Amino acid sequence: MKKIMTRFGEVEYDPSNVITFPEGLIGLEHLHNFIVMPNKKEGPLFWIQSVDDPDFAFVVTDPTNFFFDYQVNADEEERKKLGIGPEDDYFVLTIVSISPEKEITLNLAGPILYSPVTNKALQGIIEDSRFDTKTPLPKAEPAQ
Amino acid sequence: MRTRLHHNFDTYAEYIMLVLTRKAGEGIIIGDSISIKIIEIKGGNIRIGIDAPRETKIYRQEVFDRIKQENVEATNWNLDDLDALSANLATRTVKK
Repeated sequence: MKKIMTRFGEVEYDPSNVITFPEGLIGLEHLHNFIVMPNKKEGPLFWIQSVDDPDFAFVVTDPTNFFFDYQVNADEEERKKLGIGPEDDYFVLTIVSISPEKEITLNLAGPILYSPVTNKALQGIIEDSRFDTKTPLPKAEPAQ
Repeated sequence: MRTRLHHNFDTYAEYIMLVLTRKAGEGIIIGDSISIKIIEIKGGNIRIGIDAPRETKIYRQEVFDRIKQENVEATNWNLDDLDALSANLATRTVKK
């Protein structure tokens, strides 16, 4: 086990569980290694903590919790970067922002693709005007 | 918050940008494997064709900048907010 000091306190982690972004994040190319932090509260949000720079941590979620038809299709090049073949599965995650008004928005334009087999991940860019970097959650369905 | 943006283009300000004038149909070769061609110039727009290896990442500048900006902003959250929002979302049902 290894330890890092983060702004949320000391975190102990198993180096074999580290998720590697070979190319880093967009604009933050020095952030290659993250650990997934378990959320104490029940719910769809969890966070990934940078091992390279403890100041960086991102809240992430499965976007299909909120946008059931949201899909990101990894191309051949992206599959290569994840170290997976044409038939292998991968997960799509979205970085969550919390506005000063405490509303959450999803960065649907910059999804994270992650392979649980290789523990590799990358951040893609989707050039589609429907998917904004600050997409608010759809209005909640009224209780039935 | 401390930030270290290794690929922040501002840090390259000491470099002098190469500026070339090209006409429609002319091109530029960059390195061994990238070529850029000016396809058409029409009404303030310039159509550019780029030939590059598949693994070369090419983005519109403003799209790249927005995602970069969002990544930096997305690190500014605190644990109390996350806990509160998680509690709210846990009870939320999504229509699938």
